Amino acid sequence: MKSACEKWKDQLLEAALTGARSKEFELHLRNCKSCAAELRELEAIREHQDALLPLLVRGSQPSPDFRTRVLAAAAATEGEPNRAPRWRVWALAGATVAAATVFLVQRSAVRKDEAEELAAAQKLVDWRPPSDSLLKTPGQEILKTTPKLGDSYLHVPVNKLEEE
Amino acid sequence: MTGTWVSALTAKAEAETPAGGFGERIAENQRRVFQIALSILGNSADAEDVAQEAFLRAYQKFDTLREAEKFRSWVNRIVFRLALNRKRGHKRRLARDTEWQVVETMTTVDGAKEAEQQVMLGRLRREIERLPKKLRSVLLLSLVEEMDATDVGAVLGIPPGTVRSRLHTARKLLLEGMQ
Repeated sequence: MKSACEKWKDQLLEAALTGARSKEFELHLRNCKSCAAELRELEAIREHQDALLPLLVRGSQPSPDFRTRVLAAAAATEGEPNRAPRWRVWALAGATVAAATVFLVQRSAVRKDEAEELAAAQKLVDWRPPSDSLLKTPGQEILKTTPKLGDSYLHVPVNKLEEE
Repeated sequence: MTGTWVSALTAKAEAETPAGGFGERIAENQRRVFQIALSILGNSADAEDVAQEAFLRAYQKFDTLREAEKFRSWVNRIVFRLALNRKRGHKRRLARDTEWQVVETMTTVDGAKEAEQQVMLGRLRREIERLPKKLRSVLLLSLVEEMDATDVGAVLGIPPGTVRSRLHTARKLLLEGMQ
């Protein structure tokens, strides 16, 4: 095919397949030997295909005992319990495993939360503001003690040097 | 001996079980069902295997498939899907060539042995395999006996008009490919 005739490619195929030709295309065919020859070639291929395609499948049939074999196989399944399809069994198993995993993960997460909450509460109880140490008075230790009978809270040891 | 046993068993299966009439349905549909599988798989052994599996699945659902038309459309769809699955399995395993078995095909050509025809059939198979999946399915199902555009559309879940348009495109591409 000439490069100038590329635009007729689709019409060539249509014409070979259905026989339909536009007036314009008909006119082109009269003037273009190359396209006319190509159309003849395509028509020959189409005819060949028309003859070959049915041979791929048509006329073929299963072996003569096919029906008997299917019926025997069907009869053999008669006594079997109506088993669920394999995919359904696998899906059920998968769903069970997934549910168990979710349950365990959630349970361990709850336990972890509880432990963390307990630790946080303990920390809160133990917490003292830093200003506590600044608020301590020198006499606090004395005030915390209970004096023996006859003693006084105000019994403070006196520095010997000061006495001298 | 075995034949008698099988016959007795099958007769029992037909007459006494709730699946009575199933044998009749097989007889009505087996040729077409086999051809649908063959069109996809390209060899008789696999096609027969898949056809049998389709009928056994139909047997499991026979209570709801007693109507001839319902049975026909259901079994057409199921055998098509089973055949596609089988073909995908073959491709995955790379155990078998996905190309059609030209030698076997030739046995259906009434013993014709012309080399040119053999070459053309092989080429035709390869060209069909090269078509886009949607077009290939339509073309192959249209080759099956007793399958019109409505039947093909019912299997593929598309309207008959779409079947015709895809078939036309497939033939055009096939023609171009064989040029």
